[in-house]
Amino acid sequence: MTYLLEAKDLRKQYPDKLALCGLNLQIEAGEVFCLLGQNGAGKSTTINLFLGFIEPTAGAAYLNGLEVAANPLKIKQYLAYIPENVMLYPHLTGLENLALFSSLAGFSYKESELVAYLAQAGLPVEAVQRRVGSYSKGMRQKVGIAIAVAKHAKVLLLDEPTSGLDPKASNEFSELLRQLSQQGTAVFMATHDIFRAKEVGTRVGIMREGELVDVRPTATLNANELEQLYLTYMQ
Amino acid sequence: MIQSIAQKEFVSTLRDRRFVVLSGLLLALLLAATLVGRASYHTLQQERMVAQQTVNDQFHHQPNRHPHRVAHYGSFAFRPRSGLSFLDAGLDSYTGASVYLEAHQQNSVNFSQAQQSGSLIRFGELTVAFVLQVLMPLLIVFLCFSAFTEERETGTLKLLLSQGVSMRQVAWGKIAGYGSAVALVVGPALALAAWLLFGEEEFAHNADVWARLALFGMSYAVYFFLWIVGAVVVSARQRHARSALVLLLSCWMLGCIILPKATANLGATLFPTITKAQMDADVHEAAQKGINGHDPQDQRSAVLKANLLKQYGVDSEEKLPVSVGGLVMAESEAYTSKVYQQHFAALTRTYERQNAISTWAGLLNPYQAIRPLSMGLAGSDFAHYVHFQQAAEAYRYQLVQRLNGLQASMGYGDKERKLDAATWQAIPTFAYQAPPVGWALGYLLLPALALLLWAVGLSWLGLKMIDKTSVV
Repeated sequence: MTYLLEAKDLRKQYPDKLALCGLNLQIEAGEVFCLLGQNGAGKSTTINLFLGFIEPTAGAAYLNGLEVAANPLKIKQYLAYIPENVMLYPHLTGLENLALFSSLAGFSYKESELVAYLAQAGLPVEAVQRRVGSYSKGMRQKVGIAIAVAKHAKVLLLDEPTSGLDPKASNEFSELLRQLSQQGTAVFMATHDIFRAKEVGTRVGIMREGELVDVRPTATLNANELEQLYLTYMQ
Repeated sequence: MIQSIAQKEFVSTLRDRRFVVLSGLLLALLLAATLVGRASYHTLQQERMVAQQTVNDQFHHQPNRHPHRVAHYGSFAFRPRSGLSFLDAGLDSYTGASVYLEAHQQNSVNFSQAQQSGSLIRFGELTVAFVLQVLMPLLIVFLCFSAFTEERETGTLKLLLSQGVSMRQVAWGKIAGYGSAVALVVGPALALAAWLLFGEEEFAHNADVWARLALFGMSYAVYFFLWIVGAVVVSARQRHARSALVLLLSCWMLGCIILPKATANLGATLFPTITKAQMDADVHEAAQKGINGHDPQDQRSAVLKANLLKQYGVDSEEKLPVSVGGLVMAESEAYTSKVYQQHFAALTRTYERQNAISTWAGLLNPYQAIRPLSMGLAGSDFAHYVHFQQAAEAYRYQLVQRLNGLQASMGYGDKERKLDAATWQAIPTFAYQAPPVGWALGYLLLPALALLLWAVGLSWLGLKMIDKTSVV
């Protein structure tokens, strides 16, 4: 079976630190995998390895069956990425930013379609023509979500995507993730938010010091049990 | 992809108030330099044309005179400024504007603007070339130093690359975008220059000036491309914007200020020029070895006279159909002219060797490649100056020998007679024909090659380095 995301003995060693030690992971289409862990646990390293921004020391990451390190450009057509703090081009409007990133991904949308994507991500319509320099962090995050959604990617790589979003926007984002997963999108989300992980995830993993120490289906735990489990590993 | 990124960079740059202020300032400087340069060109050109016409008229309207008296009366050759010298004055301000043409000696070209101006000229002139060569790179540095560092620091680079764009495509997009912004600043000034130039009857249909202007523009396009590529590469290789800015400013100082001065000093040290007094003394000493046309007791004159008597089969000077004095003068002129030519050629070679150090430095420093290229295309470099000097000397020699011929044809006792005033009107005056661009290019191969090598080398190596740059 071809997994949309797969890590085989994935390892990343920096001169002063072992960031990831032998990660093995498979994520299928329609699955939302939430990775919990403290700062420096290896969550962002994992995402960077899947993005092909860093080379693994050993092992391999696969995206849609393609080895990431061997196909760094090709794999990008299958993925969309939302960082923790979406920073856009401040001299361009929200609409222009979305048009730029979409065109780079190979999509040419009409203005009305771009506005629709921004609205779907929760950006107020009156803000789309304003320069991003005047946006709040939450508004930028929404443009980032619109960029990811407009790419119609098979895989979503999310690094603390709801950071800076208000509760309403976070809920809307969770709903959006559910819709995307129902359409067959595989989601890999690194987060600190245990309750959001429980809410949207189909599986949750706990990472500590570069090691994936536990993986559970979210259906087998309630939010409190998940929190207890997480705290146990973090002690 | 590259086009989308280029458009984004162009639009972002135009919306950046810092760039608008800086580029507005530079555009104003460029336009001012173009207009002031053109006005100055007109004034000087008009002055020289009037002066040349005046001395030509004075020469033609001499009274009945002995030809050798006319040869000593002499004339002047005024160097006309080239059409593009208002864009790059080059050495024009420091080289002379006119040369006195007279019998027996080759004078140097004198009366430069620098000699006649105040001390302010030592600080350099505000010319289009100065703005393009020195100030535009500064604008490019301020425009591009954060090209990649800012993207990396803010995280937009990861988002950009996650769309499936390569680092190389991002770099080319940025280079194209910044290039468009720079063209927006330089374009109006060059368009104004072209309009001013070709609005005049003198240059409107002059293909040579068109070709020079086109090559001038292309050379600067390559020069700015180099700076943009260099700045983008530095920005990609540095982790922080501040360190990229410091490194680029250091490159600017080294390339535009320190290296040119250092190589000029090195050239002057390795190939020292002799003083004017020493050269005059050397020429005088060498000239003594030839016939002295003004010394009737000169032994070599006596030999020449004896040969003439033998040639014409007569026994006295009175029976000769030619004037011995005129032929002695012609012989003397040929010798002294050769002596002067040798000494001037040696001096020119010394200057050329000094300049060659700076020109070869163009392989290390693009500023020292664009500088001679710009001057050469504008017709204000050392080679063009020497061309004028040689043309003036060729005219002087022909004029003096023509007058010596007239004297010789007067026969015995010529010194007691004069030729009619109409004789002088038949003698053509000095009319300088500047060399074509093809001639100039022969002197500009090295700097042109250096600039192209820089462009190809930096693009190839720089972009290769960008490919290997860490994203996170």
